[in-house]
Amino acid sequence: MDVRVIFDKKSKAFWNMALDESLLINLKEYGPTLRFYGWMPPAISIGYFQSLEENVNMEEAKRRGVDIVRRITGGGTVYHKWEVTYSIILHPPPGKILDSYRMIEGGIIEGLKEIGIEARYSGVNDIIVNGRKISGNAQTRRYGGLLQHGTILIDVDIEEMFTLLKVPNEKIKDKMIRDVKERVTSLRHLGIEIEFEELQKILARGFERALNIKLYEEKIDERILKKARELEVRKYATQEWNHRR
Amino acid sequence: MPLKSGITEGRVAIKKGKLLKIWARFNEDVILDIKITGDFFVYPENTIELIETSLLGKRVSEVGEIIKKIMENCEYIGIEPQDIYEAVRLAWMKRS
Repeated sequence: MDVRVIFDKKSKAFWNMALDESLLINLKEYGPTLRFYGWMPPAISIGYFQSLEENVNMEEAKRRGVDIVRRITGGGTVYHKWEVTYSIILHPPPGKILDSYRMIEGGIIEGLKEIGIEARYSGVNDIIVNGRKISGNAQTRRYGGLLQHGTILIDVDIEEMFTLLKVPNEKIKDKMIRDVKERVTSLRHLGIEIEFEELQKILARGFERALNIKLYEEKIDERILKKARELEVRKYATQEWNHRR
Repeated sequence: MPLKSGITEGRVAIKKGKLLKIWARFNEDVILDIKITGDFFVYPENTIELIETSLLGKRVSEVGEIIKKIMENCEYIGIEPQDIYEAVRLAWMKRS
């Protein structure tokens, strides 16, 4: 199968989510796409079912210039800073949704192999190295298509992340930070210094091998961008969407 | 403190695979309002909205059957239908 690949830059949160959804909406006419991107300014994304008020310290995020956006995918709160994010938009393969998570996550595992990292699945939507999470993934099925996006951590600052998240009890915040530090890793923590652009290319090759697809680079079509601009303004930037739960 | 005679609120968070939070308002054992949040996955996603609207006006004792029926063809990660029922029941028991 031929799949368009987009090596994208770091963009604002609303735009990132809008472009992913536009690619999904237009899948039928536009075909499958694999997109790599980052976040500038850093951003917090929350899962489709999460309460924004209960999970994010909005004052601190505003003070630090951190964007906040709700995803159309489920899952938890993610602080996006030093990472490569991917999104893959495909016609859903037959079988269970849970199996398709594995299939797609295989691309990340295969890519990480190229830089000497032995990663494996954990649960349905995490990828771990030496027992610590390096990648989280979330999928949705809408508009007759599949969108899965996920992150691969280049570096991580847990303390900074916790200043932006609300914790149920301030008294246990330090313990929570220690716990998360023990459960999360990044390429830098594994001794690998890698640039954003280079990691995109490595992961792309991983997806090609794992999913048995052939990638071709192509600029994003104007109609996709137009729909994304509409979604950015009318959906992802709105209080109605971001505060809906 | 009760909001007004017979009207109470319950809030509960349970963590099995993922976190599931329920907030609900009751009149005696009848659900007046409910919000289900958390970091779980349910497919299709509108299932949760469907559950929320289907539970309005229903008794807590009816919740299990309603959720089971709505979720019978769903796929989910991190929660099970009975977790939602259990959380509603706990919210009702802990209401104030």
